Amino acid sequence: MLVRRFPRAVDSLPALVAFVREFFAARAIDADQAFDVDLVLEELFTNMVRHAGGSTSEIEVGLDDDGTALTMKLRDEGAEPWDPSQAPVPETDRPIHERRPGGLGIHFIRRLTRDLRFEHLDGTTTVTAVIEMPR
Amino acid sequence: MFRLDLGDPGTVRLIGRLDGAEAERAVSSFAKLEGSIVADCSELDYISSAGIAVILVTLQRLNQKGHTLRLHPVQPRVGNVFKYAGLAQMLGIE
Repeated sequence: MLVRRFPRAVDSLPALVAFVREFFAARAIDADQAFDVDLVLEELFTNMVRHAGGSTSEIEVGLDDDGTALTMKLRDEGAEPWDPSQAPVPETDRPIHERRPGGLGIHFIRRLTRDLRFEHLDGTTTVTAVIEMPR
Repeated sequence: MFRLDLGDPGTVRLIGRLDGAEAERAVSSFAKLEGSIVADCSELDYISSAGIAVILVTLQRLNQKGHTLRLHPVQPRVGNVFKYAGLAQMLGIE
């Protein structure tokens, strides 16, 4: 697994994208498949930045693949428990004037991942997401 | 990076990546749009929920004044994100 730590800020997103491209190049994965990885990783990362309130200044991100699926693991030390799998489902079929943007990120994550696991142990939150990526 | 370029009256071009960092900076550009708008998204390479939120707020604001917002053309993967959000039809995305 390729692992790196990123400052807890939305301005880390370009560095996250570069990290994904580096991983794809190292594993000879077609960069055209990066869109869904970028999207799930951004939504998980920004939720940790905005909602988890961890005490450390950095979030650890790991990427791995087995030729059929890509696994991403985010670790947030000293965080309050945060379980994205328990987030409410946004009502995407409501009339436009009644729509609220909240909750869409988790909706995208659920839509694009095969597995989504949450663990909170000894003050560290770990979220593991698996995306199908056959090669 | 993300850029909103003004074109002919009623047209704009969205260029780059509208992610969580860029969406916050783009709010003021979208807030200046008035009237019915067609946005060329052929060079919009990426969008996340943060970018969708800016588009949704803009769509609601323009609709309230009797105007429309249409995104055309749109790259397929970006279009999929609008479909997941349930917003493709009302933005004219096929």
